Amino acid sequence: MSIAQVQKVQVVAHSGVKMEVLSALQEEGLVQVERTDFEELGLNSSSVDVYQLEHNLYRLSHALDYLSRWEETGFVKKLFIQKTQMKREKRKEALGFDYLSVLNEVEKLEAKKNELLSELKFLKKETEFLDPFEGLELPLGLLKTTETTEVLIGSLLVSRYENLQRISDEEGLWHEVISRDKRKFHLLLVYHKQERERIEQMLRELHFAPFYFKEPVQITEPLLSKTEEQDRVRDVIRKIDEEMQIKRKMLEDLEKEEKRLFEHREQLMRVHDVLLNEKERIFCSSLLGETERAVYLEGWVCSSDVKELKSKLQPYSEVTELYFRDPLPEEDPPVILENPKPGKPFELITRLYGLPQRGSFDPTLPLAPFFFLFVGLCVSEAGYGLLVALLSFLFIKFAKPRGGLLQFLKLLTLLGISTVILGTLVGGWFGFPVRPLMVLDSLQDPLSFLYLALALGFIQVWFGTLLSMVSSLKNKRYLQALFVQGGWLLLLPSLVLFLAKKGSVWGILSLAGAAGIVLFASPSRNPFARFFGGLYSLYDISRYLADVLSYSRLLALGLATTVIAMVVNNLCQTALGIPWVGWLFAALIFVGGHLFNLGISFLGGFVHSMRLQFVEFFSKFFKAGGSPFKPFELKSKFVEFI
Amino acid sequence: MALGFTLAVFGGALAVVLGGIGSAIGVGLAGQASSGVMSEDPGKFGSLLLLVALPGTQGIYGFLSAFLVMLKLGLVGEALKSVSVYQGWQILIACFPVAFAGLVSGIHQGKVCASGVYMVAKQPKDLMKPVIMAALVETYAVLGLLITILLLSGIQL
Repeated sequence: MSIAQVQKVQVVAHSGVKMEVLSALQEEGLVQVERTDFEELGLNSSSVDVYQLEHNLYRLSHALDYLSRWEETGFVKKLFIQKTQMKREKRKEALGFDYLSVLNEVEKLEAKKNELLSELKFLKKETEFLDPFEGLELPLGLLKTTETTEVLIGSLLVSRYENLQRISDEEGLWHEVISRDKRKFHLLLVYHKQERERIEQMLRELHFAPFYFKEPVQITEPLLSKTEEQDRVRDVIRKIDEEMQIKRKMLEDLEKEEKRLFEHREQLMRVHDVLLNEKERIFCSSLLGETERAVYLEGWVCSSDVKELKSKLQPYSEVTELYFRDPLPEEDPPVILENPKPGKPFELITRLYGLPQRGSFDPTLPLAPFFFLFVGLCVSEAGYGLLVALLSFLFIKFAKPRGGLLQFLKLLTLLGISTVILGTLVGGWFGFPVRPLMVLDSLQDPLSFLYLALALGFIQVWFGTLLSMVSSLKNKRYLQALFVQGGWLLLLPSLVLFLAKKGSVWGILSLAGAAGIVLFASPSRNPFARFFGGLYSLYDISRYLADVLSYSRLLALGLATTVIAMVVNNLCQTALGIPWVGWLFAALIFVGGHLFNLGISFLGGFVHSMRLQFVEFFSKFFKAGGSPFKPFELKSKFVEFI
Repeated sequence: MALGFTLAVFGGALAVVLGGIGSAIGVGLAGQASSGVMSEDPGKFGSLLLLVALPGTQGIYGFLSAFLVMLKLGLVGEALKSVSVYQGWQILIACFPVAFAGLVSGIHQGKVCASGVYMVAKQPKDLMKPVIMAALVETYAVLGLLITILLLSGIQL
């Protein structure tokens, strides 16, 4: 349970080596660079311009995103995909690749493709428009006004057709149905020029939708360009189809081109990450204080890394000076958790709640055994534990994840193992209890399980109080530690024993503990206020009681898993009774049901065990509020620097 | 005797129905919220699913209690037990904690999860925090389940 010692490092260097020193720091990733206090030190900051870099980075990530559709797909493949590795020293070489011309090509290609796609969409719309008139046998050149007649084609709703027929009978209008579909008639109309206005007015009232090939121009440019005097509608459609064929062919060619460009993807990824770090470095340089000839950098470094840092900056020792010192009382250094290997995965839980404040300590190791046990008890199904442990172990082995995911999978492996052990002892294997190995059957004897859960809760709450005593001692509040926290430590177990066994020794011990609390809990100097304040803090006993009772959830969640597993097996039994295909249903129910139960019980076990740490355990002794250590290091999005 | 048996069955059914209603409303609330978020960012499906599924436990607890009632009555497997009117009432009342605590906590957990969904939309890294908040509400469903289990195991047929 420790937090690593952190030291302040101050570097003064000649301006000439500024970027080189930063580069070395970035490669090692040992130092968290802080912003220089420019005003107090009277130093200047250099303004930085990363606009061009950012623009190129944006173009790169856009191109990579665009090309990513040629990536190998498939869930399993994606799961096991690994980042390309790249040597740190080879960063400069990656920039030798002419990425700008590739970017230009990709962008040009994308624009061309988009244009083609929108043209194709347009043409498709036009054919849809023309399709109903395909049966029209007249060449389009004849659909023109003559001296005495007007010609019009267009569509009319089916319900209005009767009205049109009536007009046809009464007025000088002739019509022919070219085609009809569910909703509309598609018509050719011829009428007298003299009656044009009247007839057109009537047509408007019928919501007749005219379709003009020529003027007045409603028709679209590309369509017009493909129409000639002697063409029929079907010829126009054919022409458009040919055009679309050509465009599709072009599109295919473009895709081939894209596939060719996809081969540069890896190089683009390298360039992206190298430039990304270049940008970070330039940005970081703006945090430094500068004079005409020197730069000043300050930051935090882990004490154990000091030696390494010195040796890394050795090449610049002629022009740099390094100073180290412990953090001042008013400073708030970043927190680095330091735990032995098996405890490392449990840091995830601490981090989730928040890093310890300065002067507090790392609660990871104290919570680890409890969390380990609690998840096992909540799931209490050895089969599920084995499955989870095995799957996460195999995933670590073959997909080689890193960072937070790796720690999480390690945690899952550990919790799986815990579940196998506790599941065998109090639960079963996939709903079948293995009686010879069981110490307690939770279904037959839930009360014993409840006592076990409460006992574990009592131990953790008591342990939490002990830790709070330790932290009081550390902060030199001896009276508080000895009499108040010590009083609780004495009062709680002896009160339990007194209630259980009625031994007067235990009664006296409880009273002694209570006396310590009553006399020393209140800081007031007034004896009355002190006494009653102390008496009031004795009321905290109800909080302790509530905390311990809260652990009864271990029983409820454990039982829930066991019973649902039994239900699944019961349903399988029933399904087996179905003739012929019963075994198939039974197998499906078995697999599906147990997977479902595994999911909800691990989720519940994880979340509720975590809550027990945060609410019941941490509240006794732990204060979060530290800031995480964020070293200035090589960041990677697509490749991994080795 | 038949009345006792009926009352006991009623208890089991009540546990499933009320727990199920609570969960259905809760999951519904969280689900609506997450669909809204996913319309902006479809990539969050996985993490939001967790929050949406969380209020579903009350229904499961009710189901589980009903199954225990069925075991008790011998509706599963063995021969039917005979239940007196008093025992029937006892089983019915034993189902109340899980049923009512499940109904109310399911709805409220759904509200907490829905607001958690909005939080994850803005702070995707803080997924576990709203999950823990929701677990605080679920405590009371768990306690209801616990008492129902203990009461059921205490009733002698």
